[in-house]
Amino acid sequence: MIRRHRNDRPGTQAPFDFVQLKSRLTTRRRFLIQAAGGSVALLFGLRNAAAAEYDPWPTLDAVTRHLLPSEPDSPGAAEIHALDYLRFVTGDPLVDREERDLILQGNQWLDQLSQERYQTVFPALSAEQKEQLLRQVARSTAGENWISTLLTYLFEALLTAPAYGGNPDGIGWLWLEYVPGFPLPVPGNRYPDLPL
Amino acid sequence: MSSDFDVCVIGSGAGGGPVAYSLASAGYSVVVLEKGPWLTESHFTKDELACCRRSVYTPALRDEQHVIEEPGADHGWNAEAGEQSGWNFWNGNCVGGSSNFMSGYFHRLKPVDFKLLSTFGPIDAANVIDWPIEYADLEPYYDKVERLIGVSGKAEPHTNAEPRSSADFPFPPTVEHPISQHIDQAAQALGFHALRVPRAILSQPAMQRRACEYSGFCGSFGCSSGAKGSSRAALLDHAVASGRCEVRPHSQVFRLETDAQGRIIAAAYYDKEARPRRVDARIYVVACQAIETSRLLLASIGPKFPGGLANNHGQVGRNLLFSAGGAGSGDMVFADHDAAESAALRVVGPFVNRALDDWYTIDDPRLGHAKGGIIEFLWDHPNAVTRAQNAKWRDGELVWGAPLKRRLETWFRTDRTLNFEVFNDWLPTDDCFVALDRGVNDRWGNAVARVRIGAHPHDQRVGRFLAAKGEQLLRRLGARRISSSVGPAPPPNLQAGGCRFGNAPENSVLDPDCRAHEVDNLFVSDGSFMPTGGSVPYTFTIYANSFRVADRIIDQLGGCPRTAG
Repeated sequence: MIRRHRNDRPGTQAPFDFVQLKSRLTTRRRFLIQAAGGSVALLFGLRNAAAAEYDPWPTLDAVTRHLLPSEPDSPGAAEIHALDYLRFVTGDPLVDREERDLILQGNQWLDQLSQERYQTVFPALSAEQKEQLLRQVARSTAGENWISTLLTYLFEALLTAPAYGGNPDGIGWLWLEYVPGFPLPVPGNRYPDLPL
Repeated sequence: MSSDFDVCVIGSGAGGGPVAYSLASAGYSVVVLEKGPWLTESHFTKDELACCRRSVYTPALRDEQHVIEEPGADHGWNAEAGEQSGWNFWNGNCVGGSSNFMSGYFHRLKPVDFKLLSTFGPIDAANVIDWPIEYADLEPYYDKVERLIGVSGKAEPHTNAEPRSSADFPFPPTVEHPISQHIDQAAQALGFHALRVPRAILSQPAMQRRACEYSGFCGSFGCSSGAKGSSRAALLDHAVASGRCEVRPHSQVFRLETDAQGRIIAAAYYDKEARPRRVDARIYVVACQAIETSRLLLASIGPKFPGGLANNHGQVGRNLLFSAGGAGSGDMVFADHDAAESAALRVVGPFVNRALDDWYTIDDPRLGHAKGGIIEFLWDHPNAVTRAQNAKWRDGELVWGAPLKRRLETWFRTDRTLNFEVFNDWLPTDDCFVALDRGVNDRWGNAVARVRIGAHPHDQRVGRFLAAKGEQLLRRLGARRISSSVGPAPPPNLQAGGCRFGNAPENSVLDPDCRAHEVDNLFVSDGSFMPTGGSVPYTFTIYANSFRVADRIIDQLGGCPRTAG
């Protein structure tokens, strides 16, 4: 790729329709958050006090396992160590704070919706109930943004270098018959390790 | 009066490197101020996160951004800051600049590029002028770049081949992909002439750099072997080794200070700890990439320059150029080929190295006698996450679960996408320029660049003409799902102009030597000098011109090396 496209960081390439969709979602998310008072918690209608006590990881685990399920012949969120990777992402200062908040705080919102509809938290739902609730969530702009963001980071966990915590032994690359480049980053020259 | 250095170079990319290298080689003392860090081969890996998904080699947009003005309703302009839109106009802020991340497609300009106005005549609403130099003036420097940067290729007869002073390239072509032969055959069948593309990538070890290792990940990645001819690997490492060049990373220059006579007396910059510092030199060379070069001059007001350095004729920032054209693609479906061909299509590593250069000038019933361009063929960028991203949307709805996994399997396993990219001139107009924004500042509190990016409609007509040829070749190759897109949005990584050179201060910033008309110790050596950009990527020409400018600076400093070079 020689010509860089709109909204790409250096090097990335995407078809124009995707670029426009991504741009629209990004812009809309920023608009929504600003309209909600400037915080992701308010976007999801969460009270900050409640947000502080809430542990998002069990629900995030259940959501990512549903979005990328394990199958006999192909890895899912569990096999690609999606949670390990998301722990790296949510602690990474090079990921926008707003994005990290979105990843974590969407779970509490989902659990509240789950309680309202099924009187239990999301991880306790049946697969069919999970699917129905996520489909309902995806019909709202905030929910669509949240799930889209999770899918993006699941793709990263699946397809980026194992040194970042996901894709153990290149399991995602093997599944999709993808040939990675070399050399790959290892501890010591991963991007948080560089003398920037 | 003594100075800290003979020459202060601001920016370490393809515009700055040749000046630093040449002046240090000639015995002069040089300081290079680079806003980014100093990374080397050991830091560069095939890491999609680092290269393309996090702001590792470029600033975070919340810290440093651009305000972009796009065409709006009723012939007005809509301005949006980069942090809001996500539109990133940074291309590599580290020692060596964006040359670290280039793909190294090294086409020379052609003689016609130096005289567009006199060859094709004026175009309404375009500020086309002839260059004040000719191809013959730049040719020796193209030759020099081929040797010093290391260009691999093979000079072959072609209708539009540029005149050369050397018989062939100094290094043989890089290893080529099996698809390249198919492109040759398809082109021949269509009556086109496929051109073997020279690359700024070493096919053999040389100049203390290793040869290409063919990982298949080149453009947008820093090179871990040193084969890619970045300004850092090919020039600055040698300049520093001479003992006469000091590179200062993390040095963000925010103003060039001038005295009452209008001469520059110091470069003021922030160091890594955001402390303001100064350095002085006899000559200052600005090479920050086009947008940031204009921004620095506009921000450098002084007693003789109330509207910005070298801007008393109001020319700085005007006639900014990008590269017009667009991109197209077609899928080479494995099932359409036998097992051997299918395996050949999957090969990762070797380069396609093919372009169509049959329409550099066009005679067409609708376009008339017009400047055309080139069509470059290349495999789809190998970034995996980027490829997967497309799979999560279907008809505007999110897909997940098993259906998403089946889509990923199809998208990754069943075909390979062959792209083409069209390059044609981005005409200079009054609607494409750099100014200082009055509301948005960078993290040091200085005004960011406000960039209007209006495109001339003629550019898109030429681009569509060329894209149709690219699609024709993909059809002949047997690709499926062929499409292309030519639009007015600029590629942010292909910047030039803004301080164009010329003979008249009334319509140019720089003289033919790239010295500012209004400031005799200021040179600009990046792509800013170009009045028209040609129809190829800019890096080769930026390198060549920077070597030419370096010779003029040596002349101005007295010519005689003070020590053996």
